[in-house]
Amino acid sequence: MSDFDPGRRRFLGHLGLAGLGALGASSFLSACASSASGPTTSNGSGAVTIQSNLSSPQAKAAMEKLIETFNAQGKGTASLNTIASETFRTQLPTYLTSANPPDLYTWYAGSVANDYASKNLLLDVSEVWKSLDDYPQSLRTLSTDASGKQIFVPMNNYWWGFFYRKSNFAKWGVQEPKTWTEFLALCETLKSKGVPPIGIGLGDTPWVASAWFDYLNIRINGAPFHRELLAGKQRFDDPKVKAVFTRWREALPYFDPKGKAYPFQEATTALLAGKTGMFLIGTFFADAAPKDALGDLDFFRFPIIDPAVPLAEEAPTDGFFASAKTANPTGTKALLSYLSGVEAQEAYVKASSGIVLPANPKAKASDSPLVVKGKAMLDEAKELTQFFNRDSSDALQPTADTALTKFIDKPDQIDAILREWQAGAEKVFKG
Amino acid sequence: MTATISTTSVTPTRRRRRSARLSPLLVAFVLVPFAVESVWVFWPALQGFWFSVTRWDGMTPPTFVGTDNYVELAGDATFRGALINTVIWLVLFGGLSVLGGFGMALVLQKERRFVGFYRAALFTPVVFSLVVTALVWRVFYQPDGIADTLLRAVGLEHLIRPWLADPQTALYAVILPALWRQIGYVMVLFLAGLKAIDPALHEAARMDGANAWQRLRHVTIPQLKGVNAVVLSVIVIDSLRSFDIVWSLTKGGPYHSSELLSTYMYSTAFQSLRLGYASAIAVVIFVLALAVILGYLVRAFREEA
Repeated sequence: MSDFDPGRRRFLGHLGLAGLGALGASSFLSACASSASGPTTSNGSGAVTIQSNLSSPQAKAAMEKLIETFNAQGKGTASLNTIASETFRTQLPTYLTSANPPDLYTWYAGSVANDYASKNLLLDVSEVWKSLDDYPQSLRTLSTDASGKQIFVPMNNYWWGFFYRKSNFAKWGVQEPKTWTEFLALCETLKSKGVPPIGIGLGDTPWVASAWFDYLNIRINGAPFHRELLAGKQRFDDPKVKAVFTRWREALPYFDPKGKAYPFQEATTALLAGKTGMFLIGTFFADAAPKDALGDLDFFRFPIIDPAVPLAEEAPTDGFFASAKTANPTGTKALLSYLSGVEAQEAYVKASSGIVLPANPKAKASDSPLVVKGKAMLDEAKELTQFFNRDSSDALQPTADTALTKFIDKPDQIDAILREWQAGAEKVFKG
Repeated sequence: MTATISTTSVTPTRRRRRSARLSPLLVAFVLVPFAVESVWVFWPALQGFWFSVTRWDGMTPPTFVGTDNYVELAGDATFRGALINTVIWLVLFGGLSVLGGFGMALVLQKERRFVGFYRAALFTPVVFSLVVTALVWRVFYQPDGIADTLLRAVGLEHLIRPWLADPQTALYAVILPALWRQIGYVMVLFLAGLKAIDPALHEAARMDGANAWQRLRHVTIPQLKGVNAVVLSVIVIDSLRSFDIVWSLTKGGPYHSSELLSTYMYSTAFQSLRLGYASAIAVVIFVLALAVILGYLVRAFREEA
């Protein structure tokens, strides 16, 4: 679901911010505070409004089709509002706190949803979950808030991994590594062949670096420590966090130096053109890949560093939550039940271009070898994490972007960088 | 000269007649925009001041924290960096666009062959949205892009670097496209000013034996006083509100090296959701703009008096 990640914000918002000056800015800020009116929506039995950030053409068309089918079934009526991603993200708090909010929203599971739930802004959807018995426990836990009720309904998830071109690996005579040592050896081989081993795209999409931090941390310190760290219960200047960067430093010489300057979309092009060896990225990158290259793509899981640490993988989950203030809870839950059903999930996977796994275990994913392998990898994992911003908040993401890009440039200054990161994070947690 | 005298002698009588009774239409013309302005500009601006002394995440009601935000600003290294960058921006972007715009206006003020074409060419960047400008320049700066190719062609490949991703060059790499646009705009303002100068003044100076430099220094520049005030205000305001070009090219990065007050305010408000602190930054930007412009106006009025 290409539009869910922070870097894929299209920043359409800033077109409207062109005149952001001193006075303009304060008026903009207060506009958020004083606007108490959302779009006029359902009253009692009216149409359920669904606010969607799935604005890429295929995803949008897929959503439109789902809503059309729902309306044809006669269990209620729904209307879809598709909103540019960045606008959606900045406006979401306003939608939820307005007096007459839209009913249903596309968004992420995990910490972000729980945060809204703790402010009593989300509708209790435990009733919908009663019919989702066969969903895996991991998804149920992920959709449950601190008070034990479900507030989220997952639609699908995807995975991250080191993607590469099969034909290139064959040409270079190399195999997928399993451990960190094998991984570094692979990097050395590729480098000796004149290929920058590790592609990355930090220009304009600096959040891609967070995947490295997430994975190294869950491989070295484990997923529970990672979650606590991101929730502010551990410190970024902890020696355990520094150990993550000591490992990372071993791989730094193998990063493509041009990766700092271009976004992940161009890093994708570089990978496909054989200008880099492999690329740690989520499956959404394939949106930007030509169809004929898809068959040549393969991936391997982030190498194991400490076999004693329970295996965890990143599996960002996308789905829906509803406003606590909806005037039509029955209709909203009916729509949620429909969206979580096999039929709707299969229709969505088929219509949207991305490589995604439906949340409903009965719904069939695409049967391409890539998707089968991805599903097997996630099924094998003991723990699933979401992604840096989803396990913490969008507010914490910029502190990570600053710290990680600086580390890649100046690994010597790691102690100072971690101190700054901790200070930045404390400000975010304090509010 | 005669024209000036006749207007000054006429105006007082007219003004007296008007002030006797205000037409309701006139009152409406003043009050309606004032009311609209109050709701959409003055009130939010005042609210901005209030938010700057609160802690607010945009969801829960703001809580009053006194001067906490300003105290934090004083010790915030990122804010200090953004302030220094904003000053660099003001000096380089402001200074160079005035010099460049004025230079271009002087060169292109005389009606010659193709002069219309050159003027239009220089003004074209103003027409583009800054976001589009950013896209074009991004292609220019990208690895193995036009900038790198040009440097290689002249044998300077050792200078090649990731222009927008290198903290040493990011700020300057963003100023360049901003200047590219602003020079055309300032040129048009100066061209209008130059057109308004009475050619008789230049002719008289020439008769008195003034050379080209003396005529520029003692005739053209003093005559442009009115335009200068406009240009200065435009430059200061444009510098302080420069946001879109920086945001589209670097988002203030890498690690805050091209951060301006405006981008820092935006990311604090809409990424970190610290709207109180962001309002405090907005207040600082407001005070800066006001100080520079008021400073100039006071001086200008004093000279006139």
